[in-house]
Amino acid sequence: MKLGSIERSFFHWLAVIVVTLGCIAAKDHWGWLIEYPDALIFPFSDWLNVMMDWMVKHFGWFFMGISWVLEWPIWVVQKILSGLPWAVTMFLFCVVAFVATGWRLAAFTLGATLYMVVIGYWEESMNSLSLVAISVPLAIFVGFSVGVWGFYSDRAERAIMPALDLFQTVPAFAYLLPILLLFGFGTVVGLIASVLYSFPPMVRNTMIGLRSVAPEVIESGLMSGATPGQLFWQVRVPSCRKQILLGVNQATMASLSMVIIASIIGGTSDIGWEVLSTIRKAQFGESLLVGMVIALMAMVIDRVTCGLAQRSNLYDPSEKTVLQRYRMWAVAIIGATLLFGLAQVFNVLADWPRDNVWSPGRSMNEGLTYLIVNYRPQIEALKTSAFFFVMLPLKIGLQGAVSPFTWGFALTATHKVVYALAMAAIALWCGMRGKTIAGIVVMLFAVFLYFGLTSIPWPCVILIYTFIGWKIGGRALGLGTALGLGFMVVTGNWAEAMLSVYLCGIAAIISFVFGTTIGIWAAHNDKVSAFVRPINDTMQTMPLFVILIPFVMVFKIGEFTGLLAIIAYAFVPAIRYAEHGLRNLPETVIEAGNMMGATRWQLLWQVKIPLALPVMMLGLNQTIMYAIAMLVIAALVGTNGLEQIVYIGLSDGNFGIGIVAGLCMAIIAIIADRMTQGWSKKRQAELGLEVQ
Amino acid sequence: MSYKLNIPAFVAAALLAASGTAAFADVPESPDPIKVIMNDWTGQHVSTKIAGALLEKMGYNIEYVSAGALPQHPGLAQGNLHFQAEVWSNNVGDLYPKMVESGEIVVLGDLGLEPKEGWIYPPYMEERCPGLPDYQALYDCAQAFATAETFPNGRLITYPADWGTRSRDVVDGIDLPFKTIAGGSEGAMIAELTSAMATEAPIISMMWQPHWIFAAHDFNWVEWTPIEGDCVEETQEKDNACGFAQATVNKVAWSGFEDKWPAAFKMLSMMTLSNDDQNAGILEVDNNGRDIHEVAAEWLANNEGRWQPWIEAAMQ
Repeated sequence: MKLGSIERSFFHWLAVIVVTLGCIAAKDHWGWLIEYPDALIFPFSDWLNVMMDWMVKHFGWFFMGISWVLEWPIWVVQKILSGLPWAVTMFLFCVVAFVATGWRLAAFTLGATLYMVVIGYWEESMNSLSLVAISVPLAIFVGFSVGVWGFYSDRAERAIMPALDLFQTVPAFAYLLPILLLFGFGTVVGLIASVLYSFPPMVRNTMIGLRSVAPEVIESGLMSGATPGQLFWQVRVPSCRKQILLGVNQATMASLSMVIIASIIGGTSDIGWEVLSTIRKAQFGESLLVGMVIALMAMVIDRVTCGLAQRSNLYDPSEKTVLQRYRMWAVAIIGATLLFGLAQVFNVLADWPRDNVWSPGRSMNEGLTYLIVNYRPQIEALKTSAFFFVMLPLKIGLQGAVSPFTWGFALTATHKVVYALAMAAIALWCGMRGKTIAGIVVMLFAVFLYFGLTSIPWPCVILIYTFIGWKIGGRALGLGTALGLGFMVVTGNWAEAMLSVYLCGIAAIISFVFGTTIGIWAAHNDKVSAFVRPINDTMQTMPLFVILIPFVMVFKIGEFTGLLAIIAYAFVPAIRYAEHGLRNLPETVIEAGNMMGATRWQLLWQVKIPLALPVMMLGLNQTIMYAIAMLVIAALVGTNGLEQIVYIGLSDGNFGIGIVAGLCMAIIAIIADRMTQGWSKKRQAELGLEVQ
Repeated sequence: MSYKLNIPAFVAAALLAASGTAAFADVPESPDPIKVIMNDWTGQHVSTKIAGALLEKMGYNIEYVSAGALPQHPGLAQGNLHFQAEVWSNNVGDLYPKMVESGEIVVLGDLGLEPKEGWIYPPYMEERCPGLPDYQALYDCAQAFATAETFPNGRLITYPADWGTRSRDVVDGIDLPFKTIAGGSEGAMIAELTSAMATEAPIISMMWQPHWIFAAHDFNWVEWTPIEGDCVEETQEKDNACGFAQATVNKVAWSGFEDKWPAAFKMLSMMTLSNDDQNAGILEVDNNGRDIHEVAAEWLANNEGRWQPWIEAAMQ
C-alpha cells in the first residue's frame, strides 16, 4: 500500500470517530438519535399481513392443491418404513452402508439403528426419515433445475444468489407460519420448510460444478458432434458429478436439521415432536437420548452419501459376470425376505416390546442434579463474573456497568480520565509502530466499551459499519450495509437488532477464540484431532433444542444461558477451519521457516498463523452464521433480541412481524458474511495465496 | 402401531365395531376417522385420550394427530383437524379469536377444569420470607429472591414473552420491587423450577394448574386479597391486589363437525372432567411411567356412572 492511501484512510477513520463522539454528545438533546420515533416507523409488517390475507383468500386453493398432491408420497413412504419389521429395514440400511464404503460403516449403521430400536423410538425415527426421504429428492430436483438455469443465464444468477442467501439465513421460525397459512396444517408444512432450507446448497454446488468443467472437455464433446442435450447430459453433468453429489449430501443434512425444527407445527409423531415434548418437560436425559437418534441418523446418511459420491468416480474396467455385478442386490433381497419371514415367527423382530426398552434418561437427570447441587457456588461465581465483567459492559457500557455493587467501586472522574488516556496511549503506540488500522480499532473499541452497544446512537452505528463495509468490499458493500441497517431502523426493529448483535457478537468472538485454539492444537496433534472429531460431528448434528435444557438447569433462564448455548453450537466451525487451514499450508514455507532456525512458537506465530489466517477468517464467517442460526433457538431460554420477535410472531400467528424480524436477522447474517469473506479474499490476495 | 400381517385382525376389529354399533341406529354417521388433537403436555393427553376412548365406544374411528398450540387453529379451521379437548382462554394468540368469530372454529363449551394461575414458590422460601403466602410480604423481602442481575430487586420468572406480559403488568401496577424475567419456554421454566428445588435456591415463578409439576414437587401459591367476582388485572392497587383473572378451558371443534358426526358432537358437548380426574391421570403417566392408553381405559372403567348418560343422551 502506498503511504498516501494509508494517511487518507486514517483521516477518514478519524472523521468517523469524531462524528460518533459528536452524536453521543448530542444524544441528550435529540432523543431520536437513540430511539427512532415511532411515528416514522414504516408499517411494513401490516402491509405484509394484508398481502398474506389476500393471497390465502384468492390463491389458497392452489396451495392446498399442491399440499394434497404432496401428502400422498409421504403417506406411502411412511407406511412402508413403519410397516416393515425393523429387522428388515435395518438389514437393508446396513447393506447400503456396506456398498457405500465397507464393513466399518455397515457396523456403525447396525449400531445406530439398534440404538433407535432399543430406546423405543423406532417408529418415530422412521416417520422423520420418511419426511426426509421425500424432501431430499424434491430439494435436489428444484436445486438442480435452478442451478442449471443460473448457469446458463447471468441475469437469472443475479436474482438467484441473493435469494439463496435469504433462504439460508431467514430463520425457519419466521417462514413456518406463512407456509402453514398457505398450505394448511399437516406433514406438508415440514416438507416444504425443509425443501426451502435444503435446496440452496444444491443450487450452489450445481453452479460451481457446471462452471468447473474444463473447456477441453466441452470442446471434445462438440467435436464428436454432440447435440446440446447430449452435451449437457453426457458431457457436462458427468464431468462434475462429484460436485453435484456434494450438493446432494449438503441438501440431505440441511433437510434433516429442518425436519426437527419444523416439527414444532406437529402433524406427524416424529423424532422432532418427541424432542420438543421432552424439552417441554425439561427432561434432560430423555431429550438427549432422543436427540442422539437424529445425530446418528445424520452421521450415517452423511457417510453413506459421501461414500457413494467418492465411489461414483471410480471407473472399473474389469469384466464382471452377472452374478458379480448384482451380488449385493441379491444379498439384499434374499436377506430381507428371510428376515421378513423370521419376523412373522418371532414378533420381537417386528415390534420391540415396550418392557424391553432401555432408557438411562432418569439416571442422567440425577447426574445433572448432582452436579447442580454440589457445584452451586462455583457455577454462581462463574455466571456472575461473566455477567458483570463481560456482558454488562458491552451491553450498557462501562459507564453503566461499573458500580459499587458490581465492580466494587463507583466510576469517578479520575477513572474516566485514566481510561481515556490509557486507550489513547495504546492507540498512539499502535500508530507509532505503523499499525494505523489497529490504532483506529482500539479507539473505536474504547468508545463502544465505554458507552455500550445499546446506547450508541443508531446513526453512528450505521456510519461505522457502512464505513467498514466500504473499506473491505468497496462501494457496493458499503451501500448494501447502509441500506440493510437502515431497513432495521425504519421498521422499528433497531433496539432488538442491537441486542441480537450484542449477544451474537460476544458468542461469536468467544467461540472463535476458543475453537481456533483447539483447532491449532488439533492441527499439531493427531490424537487431539481424532478425539475432537466425533464431538464436533455430534454437536453439529444434534437437534439445536437439545443443547438448551442442561444449560438452563445449570445457569438459569436468561441471556447468559443463551450465550452458552450459542457458543456450544458455534465453536465447531472455528475448530474445523483452523485445523484445516494449518494442515494445508504449503510445505515449502514451513521448511523455509525451519531452515531459518525458527523455534516452534516462532514458526506458529510468525509463519503458520499469518498464512492460515484467511482460512481461519472463513471459520469466523461460519462461526457467525452458526451463532445466528442458534440465536433463534436461544429465544426459548429467554433472550430479548430479534429472535424473540420472530418467535412471538410465530406463536401469535402474526406473519408480518415475524417475517420482518426474520429479514432483519438475515440482513445481519449477510452483512457479517460479506465482510468476513471480503476481508479473507483481500488478505489471501495480498499474501499471494490461491483464493479459496 | 403396525400393519404387518395384522390385516385380518384389523378387519375383525372393524366387523366387531360395526356389529357393536348396529344397535345404535346409524352411528357412526361417517366412517372417516375423527382427527383428535394431541398437544405436547400430559394433562391435555389425559383429557384427549378419555374423549377419544368414549368416541371409540360409540363406534367412531379416531386418529390422534400431534399439533402445536398455534398451528392447530388453522388446522381446525381448514378441517384438517377436528377436535381439541383443551383450549386455554389465556393463551390463544391472535388467530383463534378471529376464527371463532368467523365461525371457522366452533366452541363446544367448558371442559370443567378449574385452572389456577398465579405465582408459586417452594415451601422453604417461607422461612426466608416470613409473611408469605400473603403477597404483601413480597414488598419487604424482595432481596430474598434477588440474583446478581436483578439486585436489589427480586427476580420473578414469568411466562414466555410470546404468552403476553401479565405478570409484568401486575408487578408494575402494584409497584412490587421485582424484576420480571420472561421464561422463554415451558421447558426452560420447568428446568429452572426443578433445579432451584434441587439446590433449595430462591425462586418465585408464574405458573398454572393443572400441571404435572405439582405432582412431582411441593409448591405454595402467593395469596391475594380475596374479592367477589372476576379480578381485573389492569386496575389493581398496592394495598388491595387481586392478582390474576382465572382462565377457562374450552372444548373446540371444526365447523363441519356437527354435520358430519352429530352424535359425537352431542357427546363431546356434554363431556366434562375435573381437576382431580386430570391430576390423577397426570401422576400415573408422568410419575409412575404408565401408558396413557391404560390410564384412560382405567378412568372409563371407574367412572361408568358419569359417562354412560352422555353417550345415551347423544345416541337418541
